[in-house]
Amino acid sequence: MMRKRNKIYWFEGVTEKGVKDLLNNDNSKFRWLRPQRNRRILVILMALGMVLTSMGSYWPTLKTNLNLSPGVGLIVYSVTAIFIIFAVVVCYSFLRIAVRSIADAPDELLDERQIAVRNTSFRYAYFILGYVLLGLMVLMFFGPELQMFQPEGNDGSYLVIAALFATAALPSMVMAWRERDI
Amino acid sequence: MLHSIYATTMSRNPEEPVYNRIEEARSTLGLSRQDLADKVGVHYQTIGYLEREEYSPSLVLALRIAKALNQEVSELFSQTPFKKGK
Repeated sequence: MMRKRNKIYWFEGVTEKGVKDLLNNDNSKFRWLRPQRNRRILVILMALGMVLTSMGSYWPTLKTNLNLSPGVGLIVYSVTAIFIIFAVVVCYSFLRIAVRSIADAPDELLDERQIAVRNTSFRYAYFILGYVLLGLMVLMFFGPELQMFQPEGNDGSYLVIAALFATAALPSMVMAWRERDI
Repeated sequence: MLHSIYATTMSRNPEEPVYNRIEEARSTLGLSRQDLADKVGVHYQTIGYLEREEYSPSLVLALRIAKALNQEVSELFSQTPFKKGK
């Protein structure tokens, strides 16, 4: 018998098998992530990670305050950047598992309640994203190191990374926070 | 908006709740939530949400549940609370 191909949903960034495995109640893997309390802890960690990422342009300032030599300072800075971004990516992966990928799954893999939950999460995530971007914009304009559009300002690329994290993770974060059972 | 984020019910219209006797009918037939979920093609947790009246089904899903439980939609769903034991 020919095995059915695992359909990849490129736009949503999920696979049919991946979502079905997570929706299957017999799958005990990562079950510890499902209780609402643990999901909320993940949401808080993710939010903290995003705040830390958005402050990326200030890490050199921390480095300077430590009075490190330029070479050592660069290593400390790079290791900090890699560690924080890696931690946020891991946290995001766990968050997706915790909400069974419902926030990213296409309609055909969900039932009508899950579709309603996903759509509601996106609605709130969109509003929250607006406030997050507003906060980042304020930081862009007034952050001492940043001063976007000023000749002596930093490029603020970490703000863009933080905004990307927020765009990708907010629907899952809202769902993880709101839903009693997932 | 914050209040809505904390709210967990997904009633189509919270002002007009839909009551049901799914749990009672399911137990009578000796079906588990998973059995009923498989019959009507939804996740087992959706059956839980329906039984707790935290989610109001679409007409199509209500019809599918009624068929799976050998009941009429009007026997299973109501806009007024069901009397116990009826």
